[in-house]
Amino acid sequence: MALTDIDVQKQIKHMMAFIEQEANEKAEEIDAKAEEEFNIEKGRLVQTQRLKIMDYFEKKEKQIEQQKKIQLSTMRNQARITVLRARDNLILELLKDAKMRLSRIVSDEEIYQDLLDKLVLQALLRLLEPVMIVRCRPQDLHLVESAVLRAIPQYMRLCQKHLEVQVDQTEHLPSNAAGGVEVYSSDQKIKVSNTLESRLNLAAMQKMPEIRGILFGDNTSRKFFT
Amino acid sequence: MTSQSQGIQQLLQAEKRAKDKLDEAKKRKGKRLRQAKEEAVAETDQYRMQMEKDFRLKQAKIMGSQSHLSDEIEEQTLEKIKELNGSYNKCMESVIKQLLSMVCDMKPEVHVNYRATN
Repeated sequence: MALTDIDVQKQIKHMMAFIEQEANEKAEEIDAKAEEEFNIEKGRLVQTQRLKIMDYFEKKEKQIEQQKKIQLSTMRNQARITVLRARDNLILELLKDAKMRLSRIVSDEEIYQDLLDKLVLQALLRLLEPVMIVRCRPQDLHLVESAVLRAIPQYMRLCQKHLEVQVDQTEHLPSNAAGGVEVYSSDQKIKVSNTLESRLNLAAMQKMPEIRGILFGDNTSRKFFT
Repeated sequence: MTSQSQGIQQLLQAEKRAKDKLDEAKKRKGKRLRQAKEEAVAETDQYRMQMEKDFRLKQAKIMGSQSHLSDEIEEQTLEKIKELNGSYNKCMESVIKQLLSMVCDMKPEVHVNYRATN
């Protein structure tokens, strides 16, 4: 049974409708897939970049925090150094003041003579050499000579030994020194410095922790006191 | 015969329209994916700007507190130095006296380990 033209036309229309429907469905499918991929891709890109940005700013923040800590530490250190420097300056001032007062003591000849007697004898007893040379300031020569004369018998009584003492007439201690004497062995290889400055420096060095304690109080950052 | 070829023609046209429709859809898909990239960049830029703004605020806050701390430390230092000076002026006299007495008061004697030998 042959198909009429109308039947053929109907079938063609049917086939065309089917093709169109298929195309529409596929197009819709592509659009839906496109939307899905759009959301996934956009989300992925945004997330990746956000993480990078967050990481970057986190690092920057940490950097600033670290910088802040370093600066703070530097400032505190600087402050501590300033305080320590101020303390040192005050101690230097104290020693300077003490030196000035020594020169006042020396200006009283009677007191100074008594002091020189002791200084010379002490230096001789320290050195314990058979021949010794005493050196002093040029302005103290006569005082030292009489101090030596007084010291020799005392030395001999204490040590039961003879000795020879020469007062150096050629070389002297600086005239602007505070006073006192230096005693040398005959070959000048051994020296006992009993000048007022060296005694003051020695006393200050020995007493420094105590001096600091008296002047500025105990060190709060020190935990153990031996 | 003519109607047959006409029918084939119609089917071919329908196929072409379908193909065009799919091509259009594919083009739209490509465009949409490019759009995803552009929108992501725009959103990212906005986020970066916001983060930058927040960071600037934090930085300003930190720097502000830093200068405040700096002033505080300086003040404390000056206070400490003032205290040191006060304490020094109060006690220096006794310390100098102590030092001078160490310098001037002495008892010359032979060392304890000294043995007189002939």
